[in-house]
Amino acid sequence: MSATISQAALRELVAEWIAQGKRVAGPCLVPSGVAAAVAPALRSASPAKPSLVLYSYFESPAQLVLEGFIRPANSIKEFIFPKHEELYRYRITGKGIELTEVEPLRAEQVLIAARPCDAASLPILDHVFNWDYKDELYNCRRQLTTVVTLACPAHDEACFCTSVGLGPAAERGSDAMLLELGEGEYEVRCLTEKGKALFAGKLQASERVASLPAGPRKRFDPVEVRAFVKDNFESPFWPAETLACLGCGACAYTCPTCHCFDIVDEGNIERGVRARNWDSCQFSMFTLHASGHNPRPNQPARQRQRIDHKFHIYPEKFGEILCTGCGNCTRNCPEGIGVLSVLTEIDHA
Amino acid sequence: MSENHVAPASGRHGFEPKIVAFVCNWCTYLGADLAGTTRLEYPPNVRIIRLPCTGRIDFNLIIKAFEIGADSVLVSGCHPGDCHYTSGNYHARRRWILFRELLQALGFDLERIHFTWISAAEGHKWQQVVKEITEKTRQLGPYTELYRTSTGSAGVSPAVAQASRTRDAAPSLPLPMRGGESGAVPLPIRGGKSDTVLRPVWEGEGALRDACRRLLAEDKAKVVIGYGKRGPVFVTRPEDVEQLVWNDQCLANLTVYLKRKEIRALGRPAIVVKGCDERALVVLEKESQIDRKEMHAIGMACQGMGEAKCETCDVHVPRFADEVMGEADKHPAETDERWKSLESLLALPTAERMAYWAREFERCVKCYACRQVCPMCYCERCLVEKNRPTEIEPSPTAKGNFAWHILRAFHLAGRCIGCDECTRACPAGIDLRLLNLSLAKAAEEHFAYRAGMDPKAEPLIGGYSLQDKENFIR
Repeated sequence: MSATISQAALRELVAEWIAQGKRVAGPCLVPSGVAAAVAPALRSASPAKPSLVLYSYFESPAQLVLEGFIRPANSIKEFIFPKHEELYRYRITGKGIELTEVEPLRAEQVLIAARPCDAASLPILDHVFNWDYKDELYNCRRQLTTVVTLACPAHDEACFCTSVGLGPAAERGSDAMLLELGEGEYEVRCLTEKGKALFAGKLQASERVASLPAGPRKRFDPVEVRAFVKDNFESPFWPAETLACLGCGACAYTCPTCHCFDIVDEGNIERGVRARNWDSCQFSMFTLHASGHNPRPNQPARQRQRIDHKFHIYPEKFGEILCTGCGNCTRNCPEGIGVLSVLTEIDHA
Repeated sequence: MSENHVAPASGRHGFEPKIVAFVCNWCTYLGADLAGTTRLEYPPNVRIIRLPCTGRIDFNLIIKAFEIGADSVLVSGCHPGDCHYTSGNYHARRRWILFRELLQALGFDLERIHFTWISAAEGHKWQQVVKEITEKTRQLGPYTELYRTSTGSAGVSPAVAQASRTRDAAPSLPLPMRGGESGAVPLPIRGGKSDTVLRPVWEGEGALRDACRRLLAEDKAKVVIGYGKRGPVFVTRPEDVEQLVWNDQCLANLTVYLKRKEIRALGRPAIVVKGCDERALVVLEKESQIDRKEMHAIGMACQGMGEAKCETCDVHVPRFADEVMGEADKHPAETDERWKSLESLLALPTAERMAYWAREFERCVKCYACRQVCPMCYCERCLVEKNRPTEIEPSPTAKGNFAWHILRAFHLAGRCIGCDECTRACPAGIDLRLLNLSLAKAAEEHFAYRAGMDPKAEPLIGGYSLQDKENFIR
């Protein structure tokens, strides 16, 4: 026995959530170029990005894209840990400084059709945002978020979830999971109370049970990687493997688990705001000291830092790998690097 | 509450325009001073900011003024020929010509940006100009369109609304997935054609490998910067030249690596360039970033990689490379074809253009991939990384993102060679080429200049001509 829902009913349910005042985000198609925004007929005339799918909030359930792509080019972390977040506002008065707390937006949200590799990132991120300091803004959003994943029906050569202990139907971090049954039907597995509440009374009982989709083959062994990273800090491997890296933050910013942030004060002499913005270990400003010294002075050192943090430092501190194998770093790298190519090289070395 | 209540723009009673004037120390400031000492009355709506010379007025200041609430901006300096520093105002004039075109593409209201020449003796002209600008701005109303996204279809033209509805209704996509296949979907190079399963080998690959083997064996190059199966490769040994490929996935502009310290450390480079990439070499040499005698350029005749730029390419065969492999029988496209996508942007009303960019920039995460892949962005430390004082807000907010993209685009004015790497690299799919196109078109129309086409041509920015047009300057 299983519980199922049709695609049409799912869209209706999404409309219902939106009507209830929940914020709903999921994979949406990004129109490419101004031509597409103005006249769809011209779309081919300006194929800046022929078919880009990103997780974003949507107003209408018709915007939800369920088929025809591997995974969105961004990750769901931005709905829990946004790229820019105000922490407090300040005003300099004649006598001193006035501070105003920024209240977190207490609105329930549903992330629909997230990939299992995205959902798995949330319990991993929980560690760092609740380690010595309990991050109220993060926790507030996390508690108000229900994650409905869609088991991956397909994968591409950048996917490597099976190498980090996950898989196309891994349930970690999901409140409910949809599995394709074909013909626009989904089996729904409610995994937590939140998930059950979301689908209560909306599911059909059925005899059909979804078969688990095949995952990507294993590409490397994370234990080997950890051992290598630990013992090869100064290895010529790093410069040799990372020469093509140009030092943009596309990998880190589209990674579901990368969580570095920078704190900035923005304002004028009277008033302003303290905010935190995403940061990346690939930037030349990363770890730059006021003295001018930089312990990560070049791109090989920064690439090593990224792998080191994901497969050695984080596991040592929190007991798990800071990577879910989504492959976004590879897909989004303008020069085709990503962690996968480096990791497979490590395992073969 | 009655509907009439929210209409400060209709009556405009009580609206006092805020005008920021950036003026030069030697002429206009003294002109304004003269107006004061001769008791000429002019509206107090203008806030004067004195700078050494119009040539030193940073374009970001104009943007900043609007951000902090200016309704109009005035920029004014010495008449041509009168500059205290001989030519500052000529340089400024040339930059303004280009900057106006960029602002136009971004959807800024050019009616609110004024340029004048006012000398130290022209107190009456200052009075007149300030009066007129104040009156005009009063009629235009407060500048509230700045960075505003139109939510839903409100404020969007029927065409745009229609387009977005059509999009919503039809989420079926021409996407790469093949149903029923058990194996993994092959991964294209970022930006490459996703349905490419078999990568063709193009004519010239064998010759390319032979040439590189020879260069490395004869020690004429220490490293070959070329295309490999999954992205750029750096070949240092003759026996490794088999790593080099030449096919329809060779998208990257490899000249970006010439600036990288790690690559420079490898020694004298040989670099594989397409006709479009090669234009970067021309600009970089002109800007003293490379020495062509200290490198070797291997040109690849190219039939096009299927990118937007390839449709209007007129440099299929490299012209200045040390050697050229392969052949291309493609013919140059018509010039006006190049501006097609830009024209569809410019066809939108001003406010909608800005709404379009506000929507696009909302997706920007400031990963700076656009900057890092650009061969022309070679500053050791980018202005956006300077924070004493902060000129560009680092936050990925509407304000910070507009400021960043204006800076990026305008620092490439007259320098961008149109390789579109910024657009290919953007993980948010922002069509940055439109901004580059607006400046390229301005350079071509006003100065008959195309960056990287003619090694003898003087760089556009940095030079000036007494004949530069000034029909927009009063």
